[in-house]
Amino acid sequence: MYIIVSPRLGTPGDKFEPADGINVQALIDGGLISTDKPKKSSKVKEEPVEE
Amino acid sequence: MPTSVYLSNPSVTINSVDLSDQCTAATITYSVEALENTAFGSTARTYTGGLANNSVTVTLYQSYAGSETEVSIYSLVGTTTTLVLKPASGAVSSTNPSYTLATAYLESHTPINASLGELSTIDLTFTGGTLTKATS
Repeated sequence: MYIIVSPRLGTPGDKFEPADGINVQALIDGGLISTDKPKKSSKVKEEPVEE
Repeated sequence: MPTSVYLSNPSVTINSVDLSDQCTAATITYSVEALENTAFGSTARTYTGGLANNSVTVTLYQSYAGSETEVSIYSLVGTTTTLVLKPASGAVSSTNPSYTLATAYLESHTPINASLGELSTIDLTFTGGTLTKATS
């Protein structure tokens, strides 16, 4: 999922859905959009129980 | 009655980035290569259509500020992208058609193109790709 940073692409903060043929990496490199990486789960693995 | 076109507010979008307010010239060349098929018995040369060979040339003011020309263009060199051009910024219609050049290749860019006492501009040529025209 990509988020608009530059007003030249739309409203900053809105989700950006690239059309076919759009060079997404160039937009990221230029700081025009950002990637919204999914947050990692806060789940902590339990230690294995030794018998 | 003949009419003339006066372009004061065209729309130029490169890789989804609206750079209309940095653009001073734009040219779309819609071309299909002519393949000669003249043969014995012909009295004049004749041709048939070959591959499309389209291009878009734009002139932009250079700007190194955030969200402006340089950051929008620099990473496109050596790659393909999509450009959308319209005669006016309003809605697409039969009198304001939209031209989309998809999979257009940008071979080169001049990050610095400056002369003393003049605003810096860059000329870009996007070549190849498929051109489509939309009227709605």
